[in-house]
Amino acid sequence: MATTIIMPKQGLQMTEGLILRWLAKEGDTIREGQPLFEMETDKLTITIDANVTGTLLKILRGEGELVPITEVIAIAGEPGEDISGLLPSGSAAASEQPESAPAPQPEPEGNPAKPVSGERVFATPRARMHAQERQVDLRTVAGSGPDGLIIDRDIQEKANIRATPLARKEAEKAGVALDGIAGTGSHGKIVLADVLEKEERRPDAAARDAEISEEADETAIPLTGMRRIIARRMKESLTEMAQANHRMEADMTEAVRLRDQLKAQGIKVSYNDIVLYCTARALTEYPRMNSVMTDNAIIEKRRVHLGMAVATEDGLLVPVIRDADRMKLQELGGRARELGRLAREGGLRPDDMTGGTFTVTNLGMFGVDTFTPIINAPEAGILGVGQIRKKAVVLDDDSIAVRSMMWLSLTYDHRVIDGAPAAQFLRRVKQLIEQPALLL
Amino acid sequence: MSVKTYAKAVRDTIAAEMRRDDRVFLMGEDVEEIGSIFGCTADLTKEFGRERAFNTPISEAGFVGAGLGAACTGMRPIVELLYMDFSFVAMDQLLNQVAKTRYVFGGKAKIPLVIRGQQGIGRGNAATHSQSVETIFMHFPGLKVACPSTGRDAAGLLRTAIRDDNPVMIFEHKALYPTKCDVPDDPEFMLPFGKADIKRPGTDVTIVANLLYVKRSLEAAEELAKMGISAEVIDPMTLVPLDRETIVESVKKTGRLVVVHEAHRTAGWGAEVASMVTEEAFRYLDAPPLRLGTKACPLPFNVDLENAATPQVSDIVEAARKVCYR
Repeated sequence: MATTIIMPKQGLQMTEGLILRWLAKEGDTIREGQPLFEMETDKLTITIDANVTGTLLKILRGEGELVPITEVIAIAGEPGEDISGLLPSGSAAASEQPESAPAPQPEPEGNPAKPVSGERVFATPRARMHAQERQVDLRTVAGSGPDGLIIDRDIQEKANIRATPLARKEAEKAGVALDGIAGTGSHGKIVLADVLEKEERRPDAAARDAEISEEADETAIPLTGMRRIIARRMKESLTEMAQANHRMEADMTEAVRLRDQLKAQGIKVSYNDIVLYCTARALTEYPRMNSVMTDNAIIEKRRVHLGMAVATEDGLLVPVIRDADRMKLQELGGRARELGRLAREGGLRPDDMTGGTFTVTNLGMFGVDTFTPIINAPEAGILGVGQIRKKAVVLDDDSIAVRSMMWLSLTYDHRVIDGAPAAQFLRRVKQLIEQPALLL
Repeated sequence: MSVKTYAKAVRDTIAAEMRRDDRVFLMGEDVEEIGSIFGCTADLTKEFGRERAFNTPISEAGFVGAGLGAACTGMRPIVELLYMDFSFVAMDQLLNQVAKTRYVFGGKAKIPLVIRGQQGIGRGNAATHSQSVETIFMHFPGLKVACPSTGRDAAGLLRTAIRDDNPVMIFEHKALYPTKCDVPDDPEFMLPFGKADIKRPGTDVTIVANLLYVKRSLEAAEELAKMGISAEVIDPMTLVPLDRETIVESVKKTGRLVVVHEAHRTAGWGAEVASMVTEEAFRYLDAPPLRLGTKACPLPFNVDLENAATPQVSDIVEAARKVCYR
């Protein structure tokens, strides 16, 4: 049975969304949980996953269109299916075609928690109310009332499963039921790793694993979960963008002095905080560097949401510091530490990882001097930061002095911004870092 | 506080009010010598004389009308109906006259009239002497309807009724008359109309009941507690005015409602409560509200059959489990 896909409400304040890009075209097969389109709200840019599996029959609202929430933007179903009844009223077909009675649906076999999409879910008013409040998708709940009626207790039990938001999101995406998972986090909380492990044990995952050949002197690591996501995103980034790279060496001597002074005052600030702070400041002056590209437009963002790459045991995560340009240095540092901690503990919410407009990645602590970072799509640039090293430097007056030096490496999307303005942006970051007095 | 029976609480309250205000008087069948057959008016004639506590002929239409006339002319009569079933004999007086006089004469007359008496099962009094008739008087506007389930409530509601300038009907229960509880001695002890009493707090299911069924619901709540179901038992105290807020708030908390009364289930007052809750707390409901009441048959003389016709404690337990899906 054909179903409609609507503009989803992402956050309390959202009233409309701008469709940036369709990731499937009419006729394509789409799968529930897989990315379907990218959109932008007044707050963030986000990839929306399909909530149905089937064929994308009709795209009603194209790229660049601003659509009010809950309005139908596409229709999915079986190929060749009559969708005239689902087209918005006003179209000729809809007014002529009387609504036909839906064909009886076969009973879904196996998992009763996942009714065929479009099938009516029976739940008590209270269960519905609490499902909405606690953001439980009724379609994922097995009803324990008479005739499979979803009752309040089912929602409470579902919602009371303690899991990190990341684990929850991954489970939802992968269609893994959280109730069967033993949590390994603190107080038995289900963490991302638990979900990924469960995912790997599923029959389809087993089939995938079966094809992996492993010689005696090899270790094959199955490409699952987070690793798979990272792999896909990195490849997409490099194949879709025209990435180019600039480097400059910044003199950190003044920054080192500033940090020492603050430290003496008992104020904790890291070099990375100073880099984040200067980058945010420079982005407000170079909005092109703070933009996202769609098929027919470059969208410059007026707000700076700075992503910061964090290495975790599971892999790379990029939490986002919202409105980084509006924060004081210490405030920014505090937020960066908090997000870093949450990333390592698996406590990030999906909201914490979406909507970034530019990313900073720092490998200085691993002794890297300089490197070429890959852009975190759909952003237009990323700044790679190396370690601080004392070097003999020839100064402007031809004297040689010992200075604390640090490499900055900017990868930018040449489709969005040319080499010269990118260089100007990088020079501005360097300038701010070298003269922390400018920050005041 | 004194421990006394429900019947004694009624009797003492009438006596205290008659002492306080000489406009208060009592009339009814057999109130003099035997103090009505349940002792609710014992020795009142001895204390106040036949001027203020006297027998009437067996003519409900006549003496209810006389009570209305006395109330209109400044007295504060208490009219006792020996069985509330007999109100049917006086239906025109009650529904067309008592309930409407103040309204049709533009508020010129006050009607400080109390009509009280007992009703219900428990004595094998058969089809015309065992009914629960309060719903009828809730349906027609103009009468306040009180249903005390304990001696304390009987005393507090009766005093409020006597001091009310509008007609009040009080439905007592014959099977509750011998039950004992603490009753305040305070001659000013009154319970407000329109304020329900939460007889037992709970979190899983709201049970609304009156009269004998408050007692039975509390027994059911004990049973339910052993099964891990926490029942909140609410006595509306007065059906008119009805404390909608307490009931609705309780159901918002528990999500489940069972209404149980001895009045017939068909179009009984429980239907009004269930419907009101559905209208006002629909989103909070986790199960359809259930009604328990006497089956659609005249009450049998045989006690076993009487039990079969009326809700038992086990029926209340079962209904509560059903709405809790347990």
